[in-house]
Amino acid sequence: MFPYDEASWSVVDGAMFMGWGGSLPGFATFIAVVICIAVLVIGQRSETAKAKSFDK
Amino acid sequence: MEEQIAELVAKVAELEAASAGAAVTNTMFAETFYYLSIPLMILIHAGFLAYEMGASRLKNVLSSGVKNILAFAFVIPTFYFFGWWVYWGFPTGLPGAPGPAGISGVEYANAIAWGWGDSAQYMGPNIADQASGVFFGAFALFAATTASIMSGAVIERIQTVGFIILAVVLGSFAWVVAAAWGWHADGWLVTQWGVHDFGAAGLVHAVAGFFALGVLINLGPRIGKFNADGSANHIPGHNMPLTVVGLMLIIVGFWGFLMACVIVPGEAWSWFGDKPSTIYGTPITLSALSFNILMAIAGGIIGAWLFTRDPFWMMSGALAGIISTASGLDIYYPALAFIVAFSAGIILKPCADWLENRGIDDAVGAVTVHGTIGLYGVVMLGIWGSGFPALQGAAGEVPTISLVGQIVGAVVFFLLGFVPGYVVSFILKMMGMLRIREGAEIAGMDLVKVPAAGYPEWGGDAPVTPAHPAE
Repeated sequence: MFPYDEASWSVVDGAMFMGWGGSLPGFATFIAVVICIAVLVIGQRSETAKAKSFDK
Repeated sequence: MEEQIAELVAKVAELEAASAGAAVTNTMFAETFYYLSIPLMILIHAGFLAYEMGASRLKNVLSSGVKNILAFAFVIPTFYFFGWWVYWGFPTGLPGAPGPAGISGVEYANAIAWGWGDSAQYMGPNIADQASGVFFGAFALFAATTASIMSGAVIERIQTVGFIILAVVLGSFAWVVAAAWGWHADGWLVTQWGVHDFGAAGLVHAVAGFFALGVLINLGPRIGKFNADGSANHIPGHNMPLTVVGLMLIIVGFWGFLMACVIVPGEAWSWFGDKPSTIYGTPITLSALSFNILMAIAGGIIGAWLFTRDPFWMMSGALAGIISTASGLDIYYPALAFIVAFSAGIILKPCADWLENRGIDDAVGAVTVHGTIGLYGVVMLGIWGSGFPALQGAAGEVPTISLVGQIVGAVVFFLLGFVPGYVVSFILKMMGMLRIREGAEIAGMDLVKVPAAGYPEWGGDAPVTPAHPAE
């Protein structure tokens, strides 16, 4: 996913990461945000369940 | 008129003086850049030292440390004796012909990398050469890192001299061949297959990880690791906090490791006058490294935390995050690096369990963290980075990164690690130089190898418990 039409570094004068100019950066950022939130939700649920097992 | 000419001449002289000063400043910067990467990379060894000693039982704690220290001590001089020569001599493969960039081949290596004859001028103090020593130093620390990776896997049952021989084969030969082939502008994996491994996920981590696997097959598991039915036990180390801090130190050291993968601009040997480059001559920025390394560390930790909740695996996840993205740290988008690292953190523990269920006792998960995840990272770049030019040059004239090329690279890196690891350890085993005697292993290797006690006022080891359900 080279972000320039010509596969040569000589044409690169700015952003040079995968997907620049397309939807990939935004989509990847969205997925990364979802991962962070989902992991926190799962983490909270499982920790609460474990903690409850110690209730007297 | 004459006055104006005199003024002009004075101005030109002033500019020339300023330009000479700037050149000296740049040279000093370039030399300092690599010089400072060396102590940062020594932190990797401080980390591995703490990590291995923490993962060892009380009775083996110092012998594990001694082994790691000796690996460093023997890899450095052997890399000086012949490892540096191998790197420059064989990028195009055998018989060591010169490559298109003109900085490789046996003849070239003979001229710059031997510690005798005319080439010795580049292997010692030389006021006209402010680069060779710091380049050598950075590479020697890469070499020592490979030995440290293998060192953790084999703790608590390997003989010292046998281990040192393995460390030298790995650190001063096996990974160097991989670097020559896949981490050099003339390397045949690069020029023919477009292999891209900027941060050495394959040629350092995977080679070292699978070298360790070859050794572990011949070395066998620690006494008590596996039960008669094949199920595995968890042999707890004596100090988990020390291990976790050691892993964090490795992370710190990796900033130096990855920094040293950058070619600074403006010198006679630089690819560019005005911007840094990778070792392949493709552009990179330190900002790229900062964005992507940090996001990768975070992704790896979060992925590992999700299913393990174990600080050992979380910090191993941080390492896995860096390693899984290392091949493309120059071109990943940070959020994508995070996702790849997150996936590496998730698969880490299942991969280690899979290996353990096949009778391999990798005491610190080195085969998985460095070997499996290293290859995962090389292949991931083939998926996400396809189409990027692998070298400098006009479109169509230089190879591009591709999935096929990265898979070819992964296979070569696997073989360059596993085969010498297996063969040399097999020979050592036949010679009785691989594994410590059973009685000494049970008594504790510190009693045999070290005239000192790690914790002379402490008691015995923690109990051995089942590791995880057998498959």
